Amino acid sequence: MSAPSRHPRQSPVRAAASKQLKCGMCFVMLLAFGTVSSSCDDRTIDSAESARVSLHVWGHSGRESERLTLQSQVDRFNNSRSGVFVELTLLPEGSYNSQVQAAALAGELPDVLEFDGPFLYNYVWQGHLVPLDNLVSGKTRESLLPSIIRQGTYAGHLWSLGMYDSGLSLFANRRKLLAANARIPSGVEDGWSAEEFCSVLAGLAAIDADGAVLDLKLNYAGEWYTYAFSPAIQSAGGDLIDRTDYRSARGQLDCPAAINAMTYLQNWIRRDRYVDPNLDDNAFVSGRVAISWVGHWEYKRYKEALGDDLLLLPLPDFGRGTRTGQGSWNWGITSRCRNEKLAADFLEFLMKDRQVLEMARANDAVPGTLSAIRLSALHKSGGPLQMYVTQLSEGQAVPRPQSPAYPVITALFQQAFDDIRHGADVRKVLHSMAIEVDQDIEDNRGYPYERGGE
Amino acid sequence: MREVASDQMNDTRSWRNSERCMGILMAGPAMVGILVFVAIPFLAAIGLSFSDLRIGSPLPTRFVGLQQYERVLSDPSFVRALANNTVFAVVVVPVQTTLALAMAVALNRRLAGIAIFRTAFFMPVVFPMALVAVVWQLIYAPGPNGPLNAVVSFCTFDAVAPIDFLHDPIFALPAIILLSVWQGVGFQMVVLLAGLQEIPQVLYESAEMDQAGSWARFLHITLPQLRNPLIFTALVTTILAFRLFDQVQILTRGGPIAATTTIMYEAVQTVFRRQQVGQACAITVLFFLIVLVITYIQRTLIRPEREVEQ
Repeated sequence: MSAPSRHPRQSPVRAAASKQLKCGMCFVMLLAFGTVSSSCDDRTIDSAESARVSLHVWGHSGRESERLTLQSQVDRFNNSRSGVFVELTLLPEGSYNSQVQAAALAGELPDVLEFDGPFLYNYVWQGHLVPLDNLVSGKTRESLLPSIIRQGTYAGHLWSLGMYDSGLSLFANRRKLLAANARIPSGVEDGWSAEEFCSVLAGLAAIDADGAVLDLKLNYAGEWYTYAFSPAIQSAGGDLIDRTDYRSARGQLDCPAAINAMTYLQNWIRRDRYVDPNLDDNAFVSGRVAISWVGHWEYKRYKEALGDDLLLLPLPDFGRGTRTGQGSWNWGITSRCRNEKLAADFLEFLMKDRQVLEMARANDAVPGTLSAIRLSALHKSGGPLQMYVTQLSEGQAVPRPQSPAYPVITALFQQAFDDIRHGADVRKVLHSMAIEVDQDIEDNRGYPYERGGE
Repeated sequence: MREVASDQMNDTRSWRNSERCMGILMAGPAMVGILVFVAIPFLAAIGLSFSDLRIGSPLPTRFVGLQQYERVLSDPSFVRALANNTVFAVVVVPVQTTLALAMAVALNRRLAGIAIFRTAFFMPVVFPMALVAVVWQLIYAPGPNGPLNAVVSFCTFDAVAPIDFLHDPIFALPAIILLSVWQGVGFQMVVLLAGLQEIPQVLYESAEMDQAGSWARFLHITLPQLRNPLIFTALVTTILAFRLFDQVQILTRGGPIAATTTIMYEAVQTVFRRQQVGQACAITVLFFLIVLVITYIQRTLIRPEREVEQ
């Protein structure tokens, strides 16, 4: 098939074969996108109505409080503007990216799209988004939390806005720490070192019934692994990829520091049996463990269970200072959007203090703007979750690799962590993952990014 | 006379023609289905396996020759997947067939309420695998309170410490095998039961007159008479064994440390997680060839007896 055939009689055969191939492809695509396209059929009808300008918005269907809040905000936007209609479609979270990919292939993306932060770079590379630099006012941009700007910036442009960001750290049970005579850190600056964390765990295990005193939320799996445990590698001085040019993972992912960090985690799970498998998701609230490595979403439940004994502490420092995760759902405008002004108006509306605060209350995340943070009792200076804001604005929070290769990197890391968790040789696992990442980047010719004439 | 004869001939011909037309018409929907859902996608997969097509990539797709095949065959996870599939087939096919035969023989009798037993044993086949997997996830729960662990420790007087079956590199594959046999055995049982009821009763009666014991009757009448159904079930089970996917996806995601990964699982991972459509196509083409070879070998080694005496 590669060498041009010199035999004239072969060409019709080849043509037929490629036709067949195309037919097959078309059919497969038809099957895959049938569901998506059927939900978008009404869009042509809407655009025919010249009196009303409509905007199609896709969001993820998170928890119920989140869904209700977003829907009420959309309603409020519709009521406040005449001749404008925002239509919100909520898609299930689990297969969100596949649904976006399918819609993109079918040319059926909405005008405004919500997506999980680290997928941004892949979407930009695929040409699905437009830059927001000239669409969003300077005032809105300046009020954004630094981590959200970092997450939303790629190739020198801002592509997304986030109403909230996530916080990742340790929750600890003060009473249990005191009983084990552990030092209690006061904030981001004086967190436990990995070594000290080991002795804290040992102390806790000595007075615990089954010795399992740490919850790593191993029951979550999936994206959680990358979000929660790649900061350990970064804290040690390694990374998932070399961020100077995003061309290679070798030397960063399999460097001794990274191996060391992952070995700590493996030892806590395998050798020392400190980690509760947490199949019922109740390890911390039921008092089985003293420390839980988890995100902001558990704050309310944990606070209810522990009251004043609940402590918020930074993740252990594996050598270069504590590092933590960041990133959550973001809003962007797609390249299919025919009314970018209106779309930008809608995003600006969502980023106003009132909406941001409502949403932060609905999902307990860190508000996405500095002005909203000052108004949030939990997050403002002196609030119980202030440490999250510090981490997100002072550089402890590291965005997941800002590369179109991210979907592949995270898939590989999830597999790698699964293997490490089950006792595989850390060095071998990280090394072969690094080779696979490099292979993928090479297969995609380094993910060359060129913006077309838009 | 001649007119009548030719009329008759015309009649038969048109009747034959219409029969043929009807045949084609009847087979049509199924044939179209096979063409559209099996043949064309498979031909497309063969074509795509020589390309580097990736989901969503804006880069042009290139022809890469046999590179995808080279990669797949040198990938340790593929080799491991093939080994796991082989172990699974080697254990499941004989165990499941023997068990199904034993159940079929036990249930092949006139007894009040026998239909209830047959239904009970057939029930797991009707359950969707996703449901079966979730139920067995509970059975395999780690810790002393997991049902299977509780049974094991009761039977061994607490000598065996609780096992985390699905997260243990040694026990994960056996755990998958156990639930697969439980789920699949009913299907073979029904096929063999049908085969048993085809065996003419006179054979047993004459054997009884020759004073053959029940074991001898089973060995010299039941087994030879069941030859074809047995070959059929073994063949189908082998093919299903290589298709192993659902329970792995739900229970172990191929882990721990590739202990339960399978060819199908690797193919799905390659396309939906690593976005490599071309490479996944290469895996499925290899998968097809493997199943083809195994089926061919089985067919030549044990040829079903055809009834030619008519």
